[in-house]
Amino acid sequence: MMKRLLMLSLATAFIWGQAGIVLALNPGSSAYGNGPGCGLGAQIFDQKNILHQILASTTNQIVFFNQAFGITTGTLGCTNNNKFVQNEQATLFANLNFDNLSQEMAQGGGEHLASLATLMGVPAEQQPAFFAMTQEKYATLIESGETTPAAMLKALHEAMDQHPVLAKVSMTR
Amino acid sequence: MDHWGARFQSRRPLLISSVSRLLAIIAVLAPWPALAGPTGSSYLSELVARARSERLAATREWHLLLHYHENVFGGYTSEQDGPTFFLAPNGKTNPDAELEATLAGFFFDDLIGEAKQPVQCAFIGRYRWLKEKLAFDDRRLPPQSCEKFDRWIEALAPHSITMIFPSAFMNNPASMFGHTLLRVDRQGQTPQMRILAYTINFMAEVPDDEGLMFAVRGIAGGYKGGFSVIPYYLKVREYRDIENRDIWEYRLNLTDAQVRRLLMHVWEMGNASFDYFFFRENCSYQLLPLLEVADPSWRLTDQFTWWTLPGDTVRLATRQPGIVGAAVYRPARTTQIRRRYERLSSDERGLLRKILQEPALAREPSFQQRPVERKALLLDIASDYLRYQSITDEKQAEIYKARDREVLVARSELKVKSDDTPVEPFVTRPELGHRTTRIGMGAGYRQDEWFEEVNLRASYHDLLDPEPGYAPGYQIELLSGALRHYEKQNRTRLERFTLANVLSLTPADALFLSPSWKVNVGMQTLLHSGCRYCTAGVANGGAGLTFETHLLKREYFFGFGELETTYSHAFEEKHRAGGGGTLGMMADLTDRWRLLASAGYLRFALGEKSDEVRWSVGQRYTLAKDAALRFEFNHRERRDNEALFTIHAYF
Repeated sequence: MMKRLLMLSLATAFIWGQAGIVLALNPGSSAYGNGPGCGLGAQIFDQKNILHQILASTTNQIVFFNQAFGITTGTLGCTNNNKFVQNEQATLFANLNFDNLSQEMAQGGGEHLASLATLMGVPAEQQPAFFAMTQEKYATLIESGETTPAAMLKALHEAMDQHPVLAKVSMTR
Repeated sequence: MDHWGARFQSRRPLLISSVSRLLAIIAVLAPWPALAGPTGSSYLSELVARARSERLAATREWHLLLHYHENVFGGYTSEQDGPTFFLAPNGKTNPDAELEATLAGFFFDDLIGEAKQPVQCAFIGRYRWLKEKLAFDDRRLPPQSCEKFDRWIEALAPHSITMIFPSAFMNNPASMFGHTLLRVDRQGQTPQMRILAYTINFMAEVPDDEGLMFAVRGIAGGYKGGFSVIPYYLKVREYRDIENRDIWEYRLNLTDAQVRRLLMHVWEMGNASFDYFFFRENCSYQLLPLLEVADPSWRLTDQFTWWTLPGDTVRLATRQPGIVGAAVYRPARTTQIRRRYERLSSDERGLLRKILQEPALAREPSFQQRPVERKALLLDIASDYLRYQSITDEKQAEIYKARDREVLVARSELKVKSDDTPVEPFVTRPELGHRTTRIGMGAGYRQDEWFEEVNLRASYHDLLDPEPGYAPGYQIELLSGALRHYEKQNRTRLERFTLANVLSLTPADALFLSPSWKVNVGMQTLLHSGCRYCTAGVANGGAGLTFETHLLKREYFFGFGELETTYSHAFEEKHRAGGGGTLGMMADLTDRWRLLASAGYLRFALGEKSDEVRWSVGQRYTLAKDAALRFEFNHRERRDNEALFTIHAYF
């Protein structure tokens, strides 16, 4: 707080740096489009830059990503295999939204959870069952999520496989 | 306004070979020896001749695509400042040459720009427009496939465009006026999937470690700005979860063709770069040309001469008939906490505070016996609040996160969904607010004489301005001045001039102990010892606390400790510096009638030694959205009393 006050006492300094992050799909950029069917997962992160950003952002008291943020450049990218792409999208999303996902799973629903379900291929009519399941198995899902979001997704798939309704979705994915 | 972020992409200039080749073409505009065969060269000459006779380079569409603006003394200059956007060497100032170079470029299959694509694809908006205007013959000017663009569109899956307005964020000076961005809504998108859509942001590339130069360069256009397209969930996280800003989303009514034109132009922006000027050519301004390209009949950029405030762009868009559809409100995390907290009984509030300290209480029978919906509400607030704490208090973050985990495990065991009653904002919609430039005419009495005054303020909002659309207890005045004529002395003088007068009253309560603060730098007129009306440069800053009550409608009580320094010839030593405190109250008596009163004591221990008691009472009555009356009484310097009645208009 002192830092903030100090900042503000610099009366005429109207402007302050704000950490931003550039992810995906920039117009006219060669970084986009590494393969057909690429969506969210198409952008390659430069891990060094991300770390750099986290440092820059904490000095501005704006924390962009927390510890749960663990993108690895190696696993991102696109192939012709649609299932793989979909998995990548879900993993990236889970990586970047782990906090909100963990809250919404406990609360039995929310837009982040609905979006994850969509990325995982769960149709709208089966999402209520999906929400209820994540609430039911919350403790185990989160435990695996603490290691990596990818592990959480794996645990989610396993839980879906054991679920009477969702197992079908998981199979057809 | 706040999009200052480092960008990671390096921008490679056009391939040298392409540049030199294009230069060669322009140098020998006729007879085109270097072109792709005789057909190409003769067809190019034909197209150029038709474009000239139809005066295409003088049309609004062409000017919009190239960001040309008419110069004060004739001619045109593009706002685009990067090296890879123009195909003609004098393209920045010559729309005709640029159009002809563009037509020539369409005949080449050289790959240009960062994305290494043919001219037809890199500048696909220009290509499609010229193709339509000149009815290109595909056999004589073969269309090239634009796979990268096609894949980009496929990934965006565009359906419609939404303008997003994250409200002002007082604790970051770059964000004090809010921000605007566009969101590309996806086909078949449900409300729950809005966060997966991409946003179009204009932001400055700011190197690290800029320090104070940041302010100077930011205002003077010392940084490069460019467009980026990032998922909305990252923006929601940034604004709603981290900065605690309310977000308004305005669906724009664009046709499919307009959406497509807008996106083609965004794609072209991949080869563009703009000098970023904090006050005018900023994040908010740069979205307007995109909308104008979507529909050239809209006149948006013309409306901003000196500065572009995000709130003004929202108001401007909503004033254009038929552009803006439904508005959606997305509460900041703190707004959600405060609104839900209001629903708790005092017993529950006590329990919540205990759970925040000791989440294990959620296992005890005294908690378990409560109705399940109340338990869910309590734990939802607790989780939101612990998240808020883990972000604001980084040193203790791990402790709050551990508590949050415990709360959420208990929450999951309740096996019910959260109450999804919409959370109402504390602030009315921004487009309902007054405009930000203000002019006033007033008359009053000071000491022993009458005076008249006119005042003008560049921007933006003060505590006594009409509140709708602005957060209560929030004030930013920039560049404001008053000219006054004193009757008895028959003297006209600059009475006061404000460089910046910023004040934030944030009510502190059981959950949020945010400080209030103020900074005021400007010139005032003093009455001191022998000097009747003396010019003084004043800087004042302070920090304090505000409390909110609802005895009548809504009242704020605030206290500040402050420091002040003054420079004036009225003082023997030319200056004085000291400190003191202020207590005050702001009360809404009705929706239109507000009272603001304060009293303070300052002691100046340095320079001219003196002390001073000040008090003031101000009242505002709102006549209309853009008109208000104000009556103020000020007491200063022991015997300086002044009463002032003003009528204000906002434009």
